[in-house]
Amino acid sequence: MAIATAGHIGVASHHDHIHPEPQSFIGKYIFSIDAKVIGIQYMVVGLLFFIVSGLLAEIVRAQLLTPTGAIVSNDTYNGVYSLHASGMIWMTIIPLVTGGFGNYVMPLMLGQRDVAFPWLNLVAFWMFPVAGVLLFGSFLVGAPDAGWTEYPPISLQGPPGTSLWCVAIFLVGISSSLTGINFLVTIFKMRAPGMTFTRMPLFVWAQMATAMLNMIATTALAAALAALFLERQFDIPFYDPGRGGSPVLWQHMFWFYSHPAVYIMILPAFGIVSEVFATFSRKPIFGYKMIAFSSIAIALLGFMVWAHHMFTSGMAPWLQLPFMILTMVVAVPTGVKIFSWLATLWGGKIEFHPAMLFSLGFLIVFTFGGITGVFLSSVPADLYFHGTYFVVAHIHYVLFGGSIFGIYAGVYYWWPKMTGRMMSYKLGVAHFWATFVAFNITFLPMHWVGLQGMPRRVAQYRPEFQFWNDVESIGSFILAGSTLIFLYAIAESMLKGKKAPANPWGARTLEWQVSSPPPYYNFKKIPAVLTNPYDFGEPLPYVGLVRDASNPEHPSTGRASSGTPAHA
Amino acid sequence: MAVTSFSSLNTSHEAVHARYESVDSLYRETRDMRLLGFVLFLISDVVLFSAYIFAYLYLRNSVPNWPPINKDGHQLPRFDVAFAAINSCVLFGSGATMHFAMESWKHLKKPAFNMWMIATIVLGVLFLGGQAYEYHNAQVTWSGSTLGATFFTLTGLHGFHVFVGVIYLAVLYWQANKGVYTGSKYFGLTAGTLYWHFVDVIWVALFYLFYLM
Ligand SMILES: [Cu+2]
Repeated sequence: MAIATAGHIGVASHHDHIHPEPQSFIGKYIFSIDAKVIGIQYMVVGLLFFIVSGLLAEIVRAQLLTPTGAIVSNDTYNGVYSLHASGMIWMTIIPLVTGGFGNYVMPLMLGQRDVAFPWLNLVAFWMFPVAGVLLFGSFLVGAPDAGWTEYPPISLQGPPGTSLWCVAIFLVGISSSLTGINFLVTIFKMRAPGMTFTRMPLFVWAQMATAMLNMIATTALAAALAALFLERQFDIPFYDPGRGGSPVLWQHMFWFYSHPAVYIMILPAFGIVSEVFATFSRKPIFGYKMIAFSSIAIALLGFMVWAHHMFTSGMAPWLQLPFMILTMVVAVPTGVKIFSWLATLWGGKIEFHPAMLFSLGFLIVFTFGGITGVFLSSVPADLYFHGTYFVVAHIHYVLFGGSIFGIYAGVYYWWPKMTGRMMSYKLGVAHFWATFVAFNITFLPMHWVGLQGMPRRVAQYRPEFQFWNDVESIGSFILAGSTLIFLYAIAESMLKGKKAPANPWGARTLEWQVSSPPPYYNFKKIPAVLTNPYDFGEPLPYVGLVRDASNPEHPSTGRASSGTPAHA
Repeated sequence: MAVTSFSSLNTSHEAVHARYESVDSLYRETRDMRLLGFVLFLISDVVLFSAYIFAYLYLRNSVPNWPPINKDGHQLPRFDVAFAAINSCVLFGSGATMHFAMESWKHLKKPAFNMWMIATIVLGVLFLGGQAYEYHNAQVTWSGSTLGATFFTLTGLHGFHVFVGVIYLAVLYWQANKGVYTGSKYFGLTAGTLYWHFVDVIWVALFYLFYLM
């Protein structure tokens, strides 16, 4: 189809520059080396594991409807909440925000045809479903029952599935490390000509910071997991205090990864909402450099705060102080981002598209979760909060309200680009409000239930907590229902969605300057870049974009209400 | 696709082609990209070793006496420095021969390259043999104490790296003699050298931690 135009721009004859598109079904969709296909594969598998992990959460909430909850046995309950968290963190959020959006969007944003090492990308992807099957398969042999943190010595005594858990998380960790290396090389070496670091889209900045974390922190996790596996299977003592080992050693190694992991999950979401805020307020983004550099600052600080999870593990008081202060310092670059976003929104021509609604919801809910995070980082407060539902509330405000809202925003934003079809605006709005309200019904009461002393990870609790637990459970059932709206919206769009134009939102980053979905090779000719992409009101800063009927210079906006792109 | 583009090949096309050559050349997998990717891989490998070194130091500092007591109650001895020192010299020697191999290649001295490569591989195998001998005669067992656990994990991980390295070097030797590399294009050899020196440097740390500290 592109042959007629390809002839005179001199790319099609570069036999080795554009890989030929695979024609077989397997080459095209199963073992593809195209980052776009791999991105979608991550999303499909991630969505599947999201549903499984979500159903596990519903079992937890059903169990907690009554103080004596007898839906499942205590042992099963332990496995259910352990796999809920493990599944959400390692099989859903991390693969979706890095492998999913990173693979699909980042090469396009860089004006690229693929990531640096497409074959490595393929290998990294296939580790992920294998790991997921091992993780959830551990139910068959006795699921890990020490929570997602698997603290020894409990995890040393755990059922056989605990070893499977180690293998699964190890695999998915290696997969993220490889993806991190791949992305870093892509970003360092493969930007379109003229795209200096400070002209990169903010989403790419976020992916860069995340890739650094993935490359370094995840390897430390792999070491910790391998040691746990060795101790369980071959009796090699690392963590068993009875044999000279130390459970606190596990905590150090685990949290050296798992605190940065919070940023692995949240930084790409920051990147997504930065794009959405810029596009749907139709204003040059406020504080581009501040938002970009604060991602790096958060990543670096993220390596220096892990022991704030261990204030109650008996660490020396003098050591608690630097960890407490550094943790509070993380709030500074995060606050810089939040105020930059607010300033971007201020006076903007805001369009309440579902992606924008989820981003605004993200801003509210994540900020709230960030503030409770500052509470938890304070040693005296943490000694009281530790191990209560307050922590559960905090983590869900940050990971659901942060990462998952960010993922939803990203799906609504890039869906037309990925599938070539529009999604229902109304269903999106309904999905947002149902999710936002149900989310708060579910997780807000956990704050005071926790403050009143309800411990986390229990299958039974004292009767006075029942009222709020019932509220939370009902909220979570509505939350599950709201996800059905989302699934319905996806199905409807795929079956009878309107065809999407190249640039339905009048956005300015490069992925919107090619047709929806983009051709196999992304760009017939690699464009040159003149400024950062957020100067709404100015002409597009690209030279050498090849235009044809599928991606005209002045894109139709797809909807009458969306306002005219500023450069039209 | 290819047919159409060849048919449109003409001089004006060539001119356009030349103008964008510099641009499009960015989108091949270049030596530069491979090198960066490999260095990043080595950095994450350093993290892997560092994590276990941290574990070793942490466990060492959490007991009053080191070496610790074995699980059967007897006091573990210190490791024998003499043998390990000799074995270390074998490994460091292989680092030197690897360096000479690379220099020979750069100066297009193929026979010297072959000789130094074989020397490197032989020394690598000798080191592994020494390591096996040391494991066989060790006073510690991996399940007996945290010393044994960290010793076998760290030196085992390192030994695995040496093992992979020996195979890698053998493949490079075979490739070099098959004509895969030229005097100006030899990324595989660069990576191999880098990897081998990396394995050397890690051993310096392990030797200090287990035998000298
Ligand atoms: Cu943390």
